[in-house]
Amino acid sequence: MSNDLHGLLAPYALDALDADERATFEAHLDQCETCQAELPGLVETLSRVGEAESATPPPALRASVLAAVSTTTQQRPVVSLDSRRRLRRSLPQLVAAAAVVAAMVGGGFAVIEHDNVSDMRADQERVTAIISAADATTTSGNVSTGGTLRVISSKSHSAAVVSGSSLKELPGDKVYQLWTMHHGIPKDAGLLGTKDGMVYVPKLGDAVAVAVTVEPQGGSKEPTGEPVAVTDLAT
Amino acid sequence: MSEQTLASVTSIGDLEAPPAPDAGALLQRTALGDEAAFAALYDTLSPSVFGMAKRVIRNPARAEEVTQEVFLQVWQTAPRFDPSKGSAKSWVLTLAHRRAVDAVRHDQSATNRDLAYDWSPGIDHDEVVETVTVRLEHEQVKKCLSGLTELQREAITLAYYQGYTYAEVAQALDANPATVKTRMRDGLIRLRDCLGVES
Repeated sequence: MSNDLHGLLAPYALDALDADERATFEAHLDQCETCQAELPGLVETLSRVGEAESATPPPALRASVLAAVSTTTQQRPVVSLDSRRRLRRSLPQLVAAAAVVAAMVGGGFAVIEHDNVSDMRADQERVTAIISAADATTTSGNVSTGGTLRVISSKSHSAAVVSGSSLKELPGDKVYQLWTMHHGIPKDAGLLGTKDGMVYVPKLGDAVAVAVTVEPQGGSKEPTGEPVAVTDLAT
Repeated sequence: MSEQTLASVTSIGDLEAPPAPDAGALLQRTALGDEAAFAALYDTLSPSVFGMAKRVIRNPARAEEVTQEVFLQVWQTAPRFDPSKGSAKSWVLTLAHRRAVDAVRHDQSATNRDLAYDWSPGIDHDEVVETVTVRLEHEQVKKCLSGLTELQREAITLAYYQGYTYAEVAQALDANPATVKTRMRDGLIRLRDCLGVES
């Protein structure tokens, strides 16, 4: 079985798998160190093949792309479901970590999907750094529509990991969006997803609390409704 | 090898534009919300993305749409890019190829794709390639592809340029799917070594 899956590496690099096989292989990829070692060389090779086809796009496209970007919110790094095992292994010593793990394991933990394994790795490392920081502190609060918001923050990192658990599942066109509160002004901190999820907040700055609102899919630049949760950061 | 040749040419004369800004650095600035860096990243990578998408999709208008989608995705997901796991350029081109292939699969019925296969001029197509760098790269890829066995080459080109799944490749070439998977891997490894990509 594992050999069969390993044989999908080259078709995967070529985007020559159907959607089901692609998902199956990506799950395997997370476990397969041989695959992880071999994939970048194949990807780089194919990017050279693609590059050899270069052609200048029409100038109007540039204006169109830049205009679209100016009204589009960037995503924040997020943690994937697939990383929870490693996370759990690295953090058993901490009460804070136990809370997160409980949130993740208990809640089904849907998250924004990752494009590849390396993205998840980077996120895991960042999250692990916060949760395992000597000054990591956990606060939590209720979400008015159901569920719990937990915030693990570290002053020394000026960063936080925020997780929502047992949240009410939203319709597909809505999303839970996280905000950091700066003297009453909300600042976009990323998307939690349509049900349980986690967001890594890389820069807390002078934030004193975090808030969650329900926004249209893709998120908003500013909150469009009342928050369903507000949780103070540990002081 | 061609890179060395090109480097010596550019150091002497002005045959080529100055080296493009480093895509990795631009992407990292983009991840912090820097729109000017993103614009520069677009200028650096959009010819590769658009050209590849046009080659795969064979419809310039659709390729423009895909290019726009790709760069929006790059903007949105830039904070997730991890430079230790590969180059910014290959990350963007991977996103782009995935989208181009998905567009082809969505837009075309299997029948149309079979016709497209018959029309396909393959890697020998004569489109004007615009710069010395691209022409050299194009020639090198062509040369390296011609060094593969026929089955390796067809399996790779049908998948990469036309969005065939390996199962469809097997059907088109009347070959065993397991064999196609193996040939794809053997062919990619040979291509990688021929292009001088580090394994």
